[in-house]
Amino acid sequence: MAGLAGSRHPLGKPIVRVAVALSVAFATIALAGGYWGVAQAPDLTRSPYDAAVIAASRTVPRGRILDRDGRVLAQNKRDANGDLYRVYAGPTISPVVGYASPRYGRAGLERTYDAELSGLAGDPLRDPFRKFRTDPYDPKDLTLSLSYALQRAAARALGTQRGAVVMLDPRTGEILAMASSPYYDANLITDPATAETAFKGLLADPAEPLLPRATLGRYVPGSVFKIVTAIAGLGSGKVTPETTYPQQPAAEKDGLVIDGFTIHDGHHPATGSRALDLVGATEVSCNIWYALTGLATGGDQLTKYAERMGFDAQIPFDLPTAISQVTGGKGSQPGGFSDDVELANAAYGQGETFVTPLQMALVASTIANHGVLMQPHLVTGITGDGGTRTIGPTQMSTVLPVADADSIAVAMRAAVEGDLGQHYTTGAKVPGIPTAGKSGTAELGGTGEPHSWFIGFAPADAPTVAIAVLVENGGRGAEAAAPIAGDMMTLYLKGTTP
Amino acid sequence: MTADALPERPAARPIRRSAPRTLGPIRPRWRWVETKLLLIVAAALLVGSVSLSGGLTGALALYDPQTLSVYLAALATGHIAFVLAGRRTDQILLPVMGLLGGISLLLMQRLPQDLVTQHWFGNEVGLAQVQLVWLVLGIAITSVTGIVVRSDSWLRRYKYTWAAAGVGLLLLTFVFGSEVNGQRLTLSIGPFSGQPSEFLKVILVVFLAGYLSENRSLLMEQDTRVGPLRLPPVPYLAPMVAMWAIALGIVVIQRDLGAALLFFGVFLAMLYVATSRVSLVIIGLILFVLGSILMANLFDNVRERFDIWLDPFADPLGSGYQVVQGLHAFARGGLFGVGLGNGLPLINGNIPIPEVHTDFPLAALGEELGLVGVLAILGLYLVLVERGLRIGAAAADDFRALLAVGLALVIGIQAFIIAAGNLKVLPLTGVTLPFISYGGSSIIANSLVVGLLLALSDKGVEPPPPPAERSRWDRLRRRGAA
Repeated sequence: MAGLAGSRHPLGKPIVRVAVALSVAFATIALAGGYWGVAQAPDLTRSPYDAAVIAASRTVPRGRILDRDGRVLAQNKRDANGDLYRVYAGPTISPVVGYASPRYGRAGLERTYDAELSGLAGDPLRDPFRKFRTDPYDPKDLTLSLSYALQRAAARALGTQRGAVVMLDPRTGEILAMASSPYYDANLITDPATAETAFKGLLADPAEPLLPRATLGRYVPGSVFKIVTAIAGLGSGKVTPETTYPQQPAAEKDGLVIDGFTIHDGHHPATGSRALDLVGATEVSCNIWYALTGLATGGDQLTKYAERMGFDAQIPFDLPTAISQVTGGKGSQPGGFSDDVELANAAYGQGETFVTPLQMALVASTIANHGVLMQPHLVTGITGDGGTRTIGPTQMSTVLPVADADSIAVAMRAAVEGDLGQHYTTGAKVPGIPTAGKSGTAELGGTGEPHSWFIGFAPADAPTVAIAVLVENGGRGAEAAAPIAGDMMTLYLKGTTP
Repeated sequence: MTADALPERPAARPIRRSAPRTLGPIRPRWRWVETKLLLIVAAALLVGSVSLSGGLTGALALYDPQTLSVYLAALATGHIAFVLAGRRTDQILLPVMGLLGGISLLLMQRLPQDLVTQHWFGNEVGLAQVQLVWLVLGIAITSVTGIVVRSDSWLRRYKYTWAAAGVGLLLLTFVFGSEVNGQRLTLSIGPFSGQPSEFLKVILVVFLAGYLSENRSLLMEQDTRVGPLRLPPVPYLAPMVAMWAIALGIVVIQRDLGAALLFFGVFLAMLYVATSRVSLVIIGLILFVLGSILMANLFDNVRERFDIWLDPFADPLGSGYQVVQGLHAFARGGLFGVGLGNGLPLINGNIPIPEVHTDFPLAALGEELGLVGVLAILGLYLVLVERGLRIGAAAADDFRALLAVGLALVIGIQAFIIAAGNLKVLPLTGVTLPFISYGGSSIIANSLVVGLLLALSDKGVEPPPPPAERSRWDRLRRRGAA
């Protein structure tokens, strides 16, 4: 039989070309096979939608979840039919740990680490022969940085109020507590006897207990956002700790007018005609100083520094996070602001700015860790047949120089311990330990009570804990959020509540 | 000139008549290459069967040896028939087809048998048994076609009749067909049902080969200028485009995207082979893109397919479910696969891909045989196509060449379309994976294709029809040669 290329038939050449074209088409398929079958395999085979992950979850006991002290947060029980179901230590961890139910799916860490917990997450490239074993499952135990004691204390501190507490170690990014209120009892969802009524009830509850507010709630930040403005201003070099504005003392009485919009302050009886610098303005939470700083810094720098701390993107974390924003981003001005009024308002947290409590905890953590933001994480160890894989601290970004961060820390300490500052942050001080922080009172417009915020860290000179507290409609920062933060930091640093 | 040409003809005849014209006295002829390859195929399938048994039952034995032996016996019978018939035909096509069919059989044995149940003679038969019947029938059709068909004039002469029959078949489906998943694909007459588009593709190739070979020189040599484009003379292109448009139009009405893509691909490839004109292929591709956009805007189910293709993960439990589960199956398989019988984890007792036996066999094989297995299967299709193209390149005249090329491409392009659909290279369409997907129409039509290729590969066949019945082109060429 004549070869293709050697054929003298007049059709020979186009036939060869068609053969080449079809070979290229088949090569494309081969590449696609490699892409999905090998390159994408580690992700796909861990996905909660993977049929093997779903199937394994029904037959193989899931791994346990332990807190930082080794306390079991999640384990398995068998129901009357011998089917496995999940049991949790208590309802306060539900917003973090979530649930794994054959009926209602997965949430929280049970969802993120579904493949590890169900035992299928061997890396198919590193361990290609695991699947040939008679028992291919290797359910892994998760160790969390979370402290169950702190988590319960935080939930108790929030009580019946809606809100969130996020507490982390700024040096490592380890989350110590992450409470949301109201919460739900995941045991009722996983227990086959109560699952249906419990889940329907939770879905119908207007308080939205299934919403983990710490990570997925977006709130107006109010004055706690001033720390972001300070970071952007100092980091970009547009302002210094000594910067004062001549128009600031003058405007205290009647307000600062920007393009026809008036910005008010409430502290003029205390500061009089004194021109405030960073420390002074932070101590009394001066809206006008921060509005002017925002304008001096510019929208693009403000957004840029915010983005270094996780704004405008999903925070890389063990749980899904809502995206925090400095501005709606649709405006024509630098950074996406619509005009100077929006920028000036955003600078003290009242523009189109929305943040998650986790995001604000990262802002506090940035200052506490001298300008370097560590990536927040909950899971510190994954233990299976092959031993424990430790997940250590990772740096998320270098946000601003050490000297600038420490200047802001001094100002935040004044906001908690200064003669004037302590009136804005009552209850935030850890007795006997230098404490830094910033309160916030997020005006919502209309007649509703403002959201009460506090972010801070302690000990102020060598921080080991950073915190963000939000109480929905809790009133002024000093009224609701600051005392909770003080109690939590005290509990962590001294082992008891005052 | 004409007078000079006549004496030449007898000189050409002896070469063409080297093979017997009729069945005559049977002169068996050993086909050692085919024998050896079939032994390898049998060995591979036996190993596969043991592996399947290990995966499903844990026992190192043949899985359902009865079914496999029936299949192997059918292959052996086909082989012996070819040996006895003594034709000098291709020896690689049958083993390749046999291996693909055997892989299909192993896959159908492995899948839940209640995916397909039929009642034959009072017995209920499941997926593997039904598929076995189709596969054996397919081998029979290939063998009979490859041995018995000696003349191509019945295809060559009645091309318009064939075209009309094809269009009629489609119209019948449109009027009497039953609708499945928004597509009107299946024609049921009494106890029989089938997918006419599988047979229509063969008819289309026959018609195009006939038309293109007859008008090839005119399509190649004359030009109509439309702006910067040089097109063949419009009158010669019109009937073919019309035929194609009718076929495609009906396919569009049936919403059978896969068949439309297949017909279009084969049409363009044959047009290119016949004319060597890249401009025609480019115009065709532009037309196709425009047509696709139009269809996506006109038909909801077409647009949905496009949306799923662009991002199946947008709705992984809803509209994107099958495609996503297919990709997951490839991912679970990885490089070497999980082994036959070990994949497709059951959820609530159901396999994760409902249409695995028709639309997603490659995904199931990708999981159980891995990327290596997928590449091997793709390689088998390429070998099939390559043999077909060789047969075309070595053919005695244009009709036979174009017919062989078209038949080979039908299998190659169809395999490409569905494999690309499974791997998210193209939108998923409902064409079958030749010889592997479950389904009688598909297996019989593709077996017919291989049978015709075998017949065309014979080195000695009946001479072409006498000059009076020849086309204008042949007469022109004869004069030119003299």
